[in-house]
Amino acid sequence: MQSETYSVVRYVLKTLSLNFSIGQLPILRDVSVEFRTGRFTALVGANGSGKSTLLRCLMGIAPAQAGRVLLDETPLSGLKPRQVACRMAYLPQTNVCPDHLTVGELVELAGFARTGLFGSVSNAARAQFRSALHTVGLDGAEATQVAKLSGGQRQRAFIAMVLAQDTPLLMMDEPVNHLDLKYQYAVLDLVRRLVTEQGKTLIMVLHDLNLALSYADDVVVLKEGRVLTQGPVRNVLDASTVAQAFGVEAEMRQLGDRLVCLPKGTRMVRRP
Amino acid sequence: MKFAVTFLGGLALLFVAAAASLSFGATDIASREVVAALLGFDPESLDHFLVLTQRLPRALIAAYVGAVMATGGAAMQGLTGNPLASPSTLGVSAGALLGMLVSVYGFDAGLFVQGLSALAGGFAGFAMTSAVARLTGLGPDPRGLPLILSGALTGMLLAGLSGALLLTDPARRAEYLSWLAGNINHFYADRLAAFWPLGFVSMLILLALARPLTLIGLGTERAAAMGVRVRGVTRAALVAVVIGASSATAICGPIAFVGLVVPHLVRPFTGAHLARLLPVSALVGAALCLLSDVLARRAFAPFTLHTGVLLELVGGVCFGVIVYRLYLRPGAAR
Repeated sequence: MQSETYSVVRYVLKTLSLNFSIGQLPILRDVSVEFRTGRFTALVGANGSGKSTLLRCLMGIAPAQAGRVLLDETPLSGLKPRQVACRMAYLPQTNVCPDHLTVGELVELAGFARTGLFGSVSNAARAQFRSALHTVGLDGAEATQVAKLSGGQRQRAFIAMVLAQDTPLLMMDEPVNHLDLKYQYAVLDLVRRLVTEQGKTLIMVLHDLNLALSYADDVVVLKEGRVLTQGPVRNVLDASTVAQAFGVEAEMRQLGDRLVCLPKGTRMVRRP
Repeated sequence: MKFAVTFLGGLALLFVAAAASLSFGATDIASREVVAALLGFDPESLDHFLVLTQRLPRALIAAYVGAVMATGGAAMQGLTGNPLASPSTLGVSAGALLGMLVSVYGFDAGLFVQGLSALAGGFAGFAMTSAVARLTGLGPDPRGLPLILSGALTGMLLAGLSGALLLTDPARRAEYLSWLAGNINHFYADRLAAFWPLGFVSMLILLALARPLTLIGLGTERAAAMGVRVRGVTRAALVAVVIGASSATAICGPIAFVGLVVPHLVRPFTGAHLARLLPVSALVGAALCLLSDVLARRAFAPFTLHTGVLLELVGGVCFGVIVYRLYLRPGAAR
């Protein structure tokens, strides 16, 4: 990145040549990425390209073997787990929840980073919990068991938990993966609003390029553990990038004010 | 508010169970006499003597064992996300039993060393269970069946060793045979007096860790991202559970199934959050042990059944129900 843009744009999170491997198998290779404050950045790439691992390295829950993660210019490795949890929240790809845990309890657990072992929950925090539930449209569901919610509602309950952590930075690993069409768009509308209205910074692993094209500001494209390219969505996601990243020929189309990606198969049914 | 009601309910149950345990036995003692014995001991009265030197110690042992095992089970179930986890299903009780027998048979150890040896055995039993689960490499089953199977295997092996050890010395066999079966008895009052601080500390540690433990139950990575030091909390909790369960075993032998069953009984009333589940489990566990002890004394009068044996009978049925509801029933996979 050139130095003249450096003074204008703020980066909340950066990595410097991150390397991560499991045993002999390299997962991330020399990854240097930057995430701009107050923007929605999508991490895209083929299966096994290292998207989820990058997110976990950024969170510090899977510390990289080499390279550094800088959170507001301070090395992440120097921060205590609770200090990190006050600044960024993480929604894993799979959400398990024991039976009999209620939505209210789930959301309240998010306060751990601020209260620790023996602190009590403040009234301000309680208001934050309520507003998190309101944001995801689960007002009044405090006493409901999480395990008894429908798929879409459960995912929104876990998003509420992440919001209740009240962090400026949010990380989500494929939050709409198992949801039907309606909830995919509902969840993305919701998180987009958080970025636009509340100035949150959002980093999200997304499988669906069209969702990235419709909702994200910036995109980081990973291929085989390396950064293929990064930058604003419109500059970066084009047919040749998609071809390189996924090995699929695709057509990029402008439809009104939307940019869409139409991958081409070889045996598609023709409908003239 | 609702939790206060549940907690008071548990307290009331414990009170009733304690009253029953003090009043009913080979002979029934009127509650007025029980209260009188507790408030002002009359050395002339046989009833007072019975209450203070036999029934009270026995009730205290039952309550201690029930509370410690139930909190241990609740914590382990929360930590592993495994509905069958408990100190007795993960090899802790069997390990503590063997540890204690080794100290008695091998070294004629006194109480202090017996306690230490039981702790060492408890840790070894749990370590062995985890090692077997890891070595057999049955893969990461989301419901943790490999861990439970290894626990069963370890438990059988260690119990077998304990039995073999017992047979080596016919003179002492009778003394420890009943202990081996889980026997709540006033003989063991000196053991309770020696070991109770262990269980007390164990419960305090688990209660202090209630929130991070509940978070770990939601997934280790999520917990880590929420600021929990997962490894440290897990270790501290496991150490607490093993210390508590081993101390209970060192007092009156292995009392199985309280740790397994009580959390399942309590969870529908308190929810899964350990800050609420643990205290109520302690109350209900204590009450359940007291009531089983009353039943063991009365059901086959004039013979007295071992409480451990009775609990094993009742617990075996509950074990089956849990396995059916959470594992075998169609659609039970979580």
